[in-house]
Amino acid sequence: MSGATHKLCLLGDFGVGKTSLVARFVHSTFSDKYLTTVGVKVDSKQVALPGRAAVKLVIWDIAGRNALDALGRNYLRGAAALLLVADGTREDSLASALDLLMQSRSVVPGAIVTLAVNKFDLLDEWEVVPPVLVELRRSLPVFETSARTGEGVEAAFADLAGRLAS
Amino acid sequence: MGTSGSGQSPIAPADSVARPAPDAGPLERLRELLLAPEVRALVEVRGRLADLEASQQALARRLPGALEALQGEAETRRMAAALSAPVAQALGTAVRTRRQLLVDALFPVIGPLIRKSIAEALRNLVADLNAAIESSFTLRGLKWRIEAWRAGVPYAEVVLKHRLAYRIDHVFLIERASGRVLWHAAAPELAALDADAIAGMLTALGDFVQDSVGAGEGGGNLESATVGEHLVWIASGPAANLACFMRGAPPERLRSRLQERLEEVHARCADGWPEQGRPLPEWDGLLQPSALLSAGDAAAPATPPARLWPWILLLGLTACGLVAWLLGNHVWDTRIQALRARLAAQPGMIVGAIDSRPWRSLTVHGLIDPDAPPLDAGVVAAGLGGVVPTLALDGYVSTDDAVVARRAARLLAPPATVTLGVQQGVLRLEGSAPGAWLAAARERAGWIAGVARVDLAVQPQADPAAAALLELRGLARELEDIEVPFTEGDAPGPGADAQLAAIVERARRARVLAGQAGVDLVLESVGSNDETGGVEINRRVRAQRAQWLATALAARGIDGVRSTDVGSGRHRSAWLRLAIGDVP
Repeated sequence: MSGATHKLCLLGDFGVGKTSLVARFVHSTFSDKYLTTVGVKVDSKQVALPGRAAVKLVIWDIAGRNALDALGRNYLRGAAALLLVADGTREDSLASALDLLMQSRSVVPGAIVTLAVNKFDLLDEWEVVPPVLVELRRSLPVFETSARTGEGVEAAFADLAGRLAS
Repeated sequence: MGTSGSGQSPIAPADSVARPAPDAGPLERLRELLLAPEVRALVEVRGRLADLEASQQALARRLPGALEALQGEAETRRMAAALSAPVAQALGTAVRTRRQLLVDALFPVIGPLIRKSIAEALRNLVADLNAAIESSFTLRGLKWRIEAWRAGVPYAEVVLKHRLAYRIDHVFLIERASGRVLWHAAAPELAALDADAIAGMLTALGDFVQDSVGAGEGGGNLESATVGEHLVWIASGPAANLACFMRGAPPERLRSRLQERLEEVHARCADGWPEQGRPLPEWDGLLQPSALLSAGDAAAPATPPARLWPWILLLGLTACGLVAWLLGNHVWDTRIQALRARLAAQPGMIVGAIDSRPWRSLTVHGLIDPDAPPLDAGVVAAGLGGVVPTLALDGYVSTDDAVVARRAARLLAPPATVTLGVQQGVLRLEGSAPGAWLAAARERAGWIAGVARVDLAVQPQADPAAAALLELRGLARELEDIEVPFTEGDAPGPGADAQLAAIVERARRARVLAGQAGVDLVLESVGSNDETGGVEINRRVRAQRAQWLATALAARGIDGVRSTDVGSGRHRSAWLRLAIGDVP
């Protein structure tokens, strides 16, 4: 059963693992070289939802940056959902993700947002402490993910798909 | 009569007009009373004119601000609708009356447009020429040349036809803002692809190009992209873009058609776009690849129908050529064998190798006797299709009977009275021949190459000179007995004419025989007398009678007869004596 198609944009600082998350989630059609040339790579994934029509996510993996330029804003246009990605081992990457969220609001004010704190497999090296995450969860869904092991990745995308379908 | 004063307006205010001036004369007062309504109306009109002028000045000041205030879409549309007719009319008037001003104003726009159009045309021309040149030496080029030859059209036309052929693989209707696929169709035989990802990526590329090389928002759109024979054309609209993935070289009118269809899609969605995932049914009729290809387009079929007859024709021609080649070679070989047989039958010739290229050249190697009969060129070249054979022959001595006979004939040179033949090496000579030849032949015949034995059966021939001499001497004896009789003096007696005739006949024959015998001959007429009379008289009578005979013979064609008087005194007569010279 095929449902609607939604545009999902990944935002986050350099090296937080956005592309790895997408690679873990989808079978890419295009090469990663577009990230360094065009600044974005687009894939799609059909997400099955229990008891509901499947949702197709068109995932725009926007090249890592800590501020949105004009091109980045263009890429965000029409996005129904944002997946903020931060690196748990770099606390500044979490601040960058939240900063990007603030900047994106002018372009996609109604987009739903989920935060993925990546590199859960390196939990011992995390700088982001649990109280911060607890505080964040009061504002938006937060998932600890590991692109290396796949932990939390499906759940994060499924949460977004479920919220888009509802 | 006074006036209202120099500083007063000729048209006074209404209230002043109604009430005449206290110091005005009666006539002036009467004029004012009579013309008061007209003066008031005139004053009102002047007031209106002043108000209108003032309001126009106020409108000119307010109009820019009012236009800037028209930011709402509905108001802008109303303003555009209201202004469309007068603006169009104004433009038309300006084109007619102030053409140069418009040309100057549009110059910065016209120049780039013209340059772009020319550049595009030249690029297409160069591409077509390149394609023609590239295809000239390929299998495809050969195929196109055959097609041009069959159709009787120039090769360039066929190249152009094929280069213009194209096909549409995919058509995407993409939401401009988000890059989501609103509608997608693909050619039936193509594999499925991730339309959403491709549409998103295409939108991202468009944004990237616009942001990188365009002038930002509204500064230009990605209109086409080309990779090899694959081509993407994108028609841009305010809410959606139409992307068409093609192969080949589509005509420029397809781009216009894409734009028209996109505009129609927008027009049908003016009241709102359908929910995502629920495309309008009429989009199929507008956007399907088959719908975008009108009947006039030369779109290439996905798989051109196989046409076997050219291959069958080619195969048939090849087979015919092979059969003709084999047949030609067979005929040639047969004729070469016949030539070998003909040459081998030639006496005095031994045929060796025959080198030939069928119907082109021929060289015969072998041996030939110089005395062999000459080859008949017509016989040698018969059936060789105009090929002139080259004879590479060395000499040798043949023992063939025919050749030996020719050699013997050459060496012996037999007279016509001798026949010559050779059989199994035996030379046989028959007939008659002069003794000298016979003696030489007897000496030489045995030495002739190829002659094993000589059978000489030739009779020696008599000597004609000797025979003539013999006959001549007989005539001389006969002539001494033939006397012309005289009666007295040199008067001929009875029977003189008959005797004279006999002498003439024999004299002629004697001269012929002397020539045959090769001897000198002198004719002498001799006079004679009886025993009577004196010596001197008889001598004179003998001389007269000898002269008479010489004269009579000369009168009958026998010249050069010498007369003499030394005849014997036996009769009264004259006779002819032959003096025969020595045999050479």
